[in-house]
Amino acid sequence: MSETFSIYLARESGLHRLHPLTKLALAGFSMVAGLALPGLWLTYAAFAVVMLPVAAWGKILGAYARAVWRLLLPFAVSLLLVQGLFWTGGTPLIRVGPLSLKLEGVIFAVRSSGRILLVTGGFLLLALSTRPDALMIALAQRGMPRSIAYIVLTTLQIVPRFQAKADAILDAQRSRGLETEGNILRRVRALLPLIVPLVLGSILDIEERAIALEARGFSHPGPKTSLLVLADSASQVAARWGLLAGMVVLIVARLVAGCWA
Amino acid sequence: MQRIRSDFNTLTLVMIPVAIALNIAVGQLIYALKIPLYMDSIGTVLVGVLAGPWAGALTGLLANLIWGLTGLNVPAAAFATVAAVIGMLAGLFSEGGWFRRWWMVVLAGLITGLIAAAISAPISAYVFGGVMGAGTDALVAIFRGIGFGILPASFAQGVSSDPLDKAVSFLVVWLIVLGLPRRFLARFPRAESLQPEETE
Amino acid sequence: MIHVHDLTYRYPGQSRPALLDVNLDVPAGQFCAVVGANAAGKSTLCYALTGFVPHFYRGKLQGTISVAGRDLLQTPPGELAGEIGLVFQNPFNQITGARFTVREEVAFGLENLGLPREEILSRIDEALALTGLADVADRSPYALSGGQQQRLAIASMVVMRPRVLVLDEPTSQLDPVGTREVFAALSALAAAGDTTVVLAEHKLEWLAAFAQRVVALSGGQIVADGPPREVLTSPEIKGCGVGQTRYTQAARVAQRDGLVPADKPLPITLQQAIDFFT
Repeated sequence: MSETFSIYLARESGLHRLHPLTKLALAGFSMVAGLALPGLWLTYAAFAVVMLPVAAWGKILGAYARAVWRLLLPFAVSLLLVQGLFWTGGTPLIRVGPLSLKLEGVIFAVRSSGRILLVTGGFLLLALSTRPDALMIALAQRGMPRSIAYIVLTTLQIVPRFQAKADAILDAQRSRGLETEGNILRRVRALLPLIVPLVLGSILDIEERAIALEARGFSHPGPKTSLLVLADSASQVAARWGLLAGMVVLIVARLVAGCWA
Repeated sequence: MQRIRSDFNTLTLVMIPVAIALNIAVGQLIYALKIPLYMDSIGTVLVGVLAGPWAGALTGLLANLIWGLTGLNVPAAAFATVAAVIGMLAGLFSEGGWFRRWWMVVLAGLITGLIAAAISAPISAYVFGGVMGAGTDALVAIFRGIGFGILPASFAQGVSSDPLDKAVSFLVVWLIVLGLPRRFLARFPRAESLQPEETE
Repeated sequence: MIHVHDLTYRYPGQSRPALLDVNLDVPAGQFCAVVGANAAGKSTLCYALTGFVPHFYRGKLQGTISVAGRDLLQTPPGELAGEIGLVFQNPFNQITGARFTVREEVAFGLENLGLPREEILSRIDEALALTGLADVADRSPYALSGGQQQRLAIASMVVMRPRVLVLDEPTSQLDPVGTREVFAALSALAAAGDTTVVLAEHKLEWLAAFAQRVVALSGGQIVADGPPREVLTSPEIKGCGVGQTRYTQAARVAQRDGLVPADKPLPITLQQAIDFFT
């Protein structure tokens, strides 16, 4: 896949060979776990015990850890600073200039970071180990409309081209004397001469692309088939049902615990 | 005539990936110009205005889910419903004739931004601890500092940026639509409500 | 195979008809070229033969169009896929964008038609061979040259085995290399002989090579219709901005200067030119 808008890394691994929906189920479970698990450390434990080994199995441990770090760090820092330093009331721990880090704030920051870790961790794993088109086909086979698959996959391929076009227009307009520095008003005025060519340039394309899509039978009535075949197995099907059940259990348990809290 | 509708739907369908790409490209330009706004829903609003609320909602929804699917910005996926609501509101306002005068466009944008902030705040508070991992968190800090709770502080941060952001976005889309060739606009029945009252 | 009767069409908001009283009957398997100046109606005719006029472009249409036994006025273009194919000028816009490799892109139409997988696989190889794309089958469609992309568009149509394939100036946005590649693919298609082809083109030397019939349009009307050699050397053609092949031009100069008898038929291909001058 040349230049597609995604972080997918092709690898020869068991994880990559898994059916996309299995990985999606894991991501969903991880998200629910992140939101439902109580306490401070369970989320981190779950991440270490489940997500990291799975990433290792997928031969993407390094990339995965980096992606997780890149995602989590800004949140963790913000949480510590914003909620830690500015917690209303609360027990001061350390003085930081005129402010002080509050215990409750730190606890909150740790818990929230753990939550974000699990909620997003499963999807990062999914994105790194699953071809977007495989995921779309898997979903389409389970009833998702083909138009959705079309939209998602086409977007992935045209975004890089659009970004390049936007850069080109920026350069071209700048060389024609467009002011892009200076006070805010001038910069805002520069917006239209940049956006309008981008939009107008796409208009004719849209009509022709619609014609091309029709000519390829997109609206043709009748059942559809698929060239790509996705490998699946009974154990994966069972695993997916298990994960789904697990999600339900977690949600129910959390709601019940919440009612009693 | 009913079967002809499929042509129209294909046109809308083909427009959506372009609109999502537009969201991203414009967001990129905004960043390059160092303008303190997001402006990452230009495409979503455009689809809502041209093709109606449902198309706008779908565009917003998928635009955000795609960030999650590609792994490039997983947190953005959590706000897919917000983006969907923005697209839907753009369509509803357009159908309601609000895209005829600039000040109504601005008002529509402000209202949409307010609603977007209202929906974002609980998601931000519950899932992300009330922060975005960005510079705007300084605002959250300030609100927390003066005694706002986590959810109210998140909402206050949203209110201080979303309405303006959406008002400018709506305005830009309105100007774009005014500049679109009539022939193209004629393909979208809903665009009837957009024809300017007099040519400027 | 193609029966167009008294076709008159106006685009929305236009008073001048883009096509006027067009009558055209193309038998099955014929390779018919359509020539004409810009805005003479070539593209409109191509869209009319594939149902996009009037269903996509709206406007006012009078007359009847029947292609591959289907009444085009009653059938939306989406249903015609698989029976009538269309290739147009811009190679880039014909890539769906929804598939990541050339092979899968070619398969897209067949997936929509619901063909079984084994059938799809064998047809893909056929189509890639015909258009010379077998060695780039696993590349991204966006990583191809213009000529390759246009051949991909042709392959994507041909794979659906349409009874009629309409091409609207497929080489106009290509460089000479790309043009040559596309015409090689078209000549392979012509040689196979089972598809009725309508090709709108400017590049006369290329069409002269394998068109069996040439229709000339001017101002939306057919001004000439017949064997290529007759039409491309006729005086009417000169008048309506189509031009002439280099061989014809050279030959006319020779005739004018008395080097060759005035009644000798003018050539349109290299071989004919050689015969003409010897």
